[in-house]
Amino acid sequence: MTSPQPIIVARDLRKSYGALTAVDGVSFEVAEGEVFGILGPNGAGKTTTLEMLEGMRPIDGGSATVDGIDVTADPRGVKARIGIQLQASAFFEELNLTELLVLFGHLYHVRADAAALLAGVELTDKAKSQVKTLSGGQKQRFSIAAALVNDPRVLFLDEPTTGLDPQARRHLWGVISDIRRRGHTVILTTHYMEEAETLCDRIAIMDGGKIVALDTPDAMIDSLIGRGFTKERTERQANLEDVFIELTGHDLRED
Amino acid sequence: MAGRFEIFWHLFIASGKMFLRDRTAVFFSFFLPLVIMLIFGVLNFGAGEALNLGVVDEADTESSRAVIAAFEEVPILEVIPGDLDEELAETSEGNRALVVVFPAGWELVPPGSPTYQPLTAYMSEATPGEGQTALLVVNAVVAQGIVTAGGGSPEPLVVVEEVAGRNLGYIDFLVPGILGLTIMQLGIFSVAFGFVQLKTTGTLRRLFATPTSPSYFLSAQVGSRLVIALIQVLILLGVGIWFGVQLVGSVFVVLALSIIGSVVFLAMGFGIAGWAKNENQAAPVANLISLPMMFLSGSFFPREAMPEFLQQVTRFLPLTYLNDALRAVINDGAGLDVIGTDIIGLAVWGVISFVIATRLFKWE
Repeated sequence: MTSPQPIIVARDLRKSYGALTAVDGVSFEVAEGEVFGILGPNGAGKTTTLEMLEGMRPIDGGSATVDGIDVTADPRGVKARIGIQLQASAFFEELNLTELLVLFGHLYHVRADAAALLAGVELTDKAKSQVKTLSGGQKQRFSIAAALVNDPRVLFLDEPTTGLDPQARRHLWGVISDIRRRGHTVILTTHYMEEAETLCDRIAIMDGGKIVALDTPDAMIDSLIGRGFTKERTERQANLEDVFIELTGHDLRED
Repeated sequence: MAGRFEIFWHLFIASGKMFLRDRTAVFFSFFLPLVIMLIFGVLNFGAGEALNLGVVDEADTESSRAVIAAFEEVPILEVIPGDLDEELAETSEGNRALVVVFPAGWELVPPGSPTYQPLTAYMSEATPGEGQTALLVVNAVVAQGIVTAGGGSPEPLVVVEEVAGRNLGYIDFLVPGILGLTIMQLGIFSVAFGFVQLKTTGTLRRLFATPTSPSYFLSAQVGSRLVIALIQVLILLGVGIWFGVQLVGSVFVVLALSIIGSVVFLAMGFGIAGWAKNENQAAPVANLISLPMMFLSGSFFPREAMPEFLQQVTRFLPLTYLNDALRAVINDGAGLDVIGTDIIGLAVWGVISFVIATRLFKWE
């Protein structure tokens, strides 16, 4: 179900660090407006794949285009059109959220509307705070707001919900869904299956630097059942996370 | 291109703002040198200390007031009026060189006159030297007053010829040294730690995710540190002048030297920051470079006080060149021609540091 004009095209991407092959011939396309997920255990090559597409890491082999621009030929051009939320990144400690967004806007030659960006991730009341005073979920939301300063064609999110409690994670899902509704294409990596199932139109499962499956979550599950898979214990109508959320509510615990 | 300058400008302003909001950085680069200078300025090492003269005026006549006014004219006397009990207490505390008491009804008349009364003076047995010196001055002033009162101005007994010269106190020596030291600390420490931190936390990496080259950020950091160094030099120099330091040379030459020195030490700072993977690597190297210079480059005491071989070695340190040049300009009014050797020395260090920094620099 790939659209006629994919916004991201990855062809046979490869990356090695010495003897270690981190990414070993990865190909996929992402359609405009889609939320595309990359899943996989640690060390599967998810982050390296993202960073090559972002122009953050040189591509050893293969090719990639983002919004029609060749990543190797014009990494700056790609960076200008995308928004990046890095797995481990920090912001200048001495500036407040508004100042940071305005500064990042300048780095893209745009005048950032800090108030609107913060409202979009529900951080309006933190406009004058510094990043170090934010909770984990607020930090991730700010990081997403910073990735949106240039109104990007594609938003790259690398494990946006890792380390968050269930409430903060669900809240971030809402934020990501909103971003998608506003017409941004989103490509994200995650360790959480429920997250992939809730957010992603299609997912690629990576292992050992290769894509081992690529489809919609439903199609993947159906295909597995079609091959005769049955769970040892039949799924009940709710799981433990449902219990947790039912008991502790959806309200964010951040301050 | 206007857009490029705009990016530099915004990063420059942000860098300056970040520096000023970083309390540790502001403390070490702004307040610490100021505090050192205030301490030494107040203690005023090396300057001839004034003699505290307690004055108890129980007479309060025209004569006594005239003599006290004459005491105040004497530069090395610090006249402190008070009553007898408190002045004697101060004397036993060692706070008065001498206390002079004018008895009630005292008149400025020569001994032998019917109204003649002697002055009484108290000095502490703990400070006889100061007491005797003050006593000589007091006697001289009173004697001269009596002679003058006796009719017209007296013929001078001794004719004094003045020889041109300036009395350079310790503060005159210290202030240029503190300026040099501050420029070094600002250059090395304000980037060596801050920049490494930006590397380890991933802040720098986040800049890589934008289409702006991180070299803009690097140049903005250099630019902001240069401006901060100039402001700091002006503040310290201002405080120094307030303490009595004479700025004989041109303030513009001082500022030009400050920029040259800052560039040298910033290159070292960025070299350390660019090479180090984390603060634990940066700290020892930064200290290894700056600590010996702090004490061996003549910031606090003259290098002439060191053994000959050490003088020969420390002559070539970058901070020595900077201190010597600043001292020559501030104390002796040297122009660019006189401090040429120092500038060449700094330039050589600048080139060495820059080459090493670019070789070792790693963004991640």
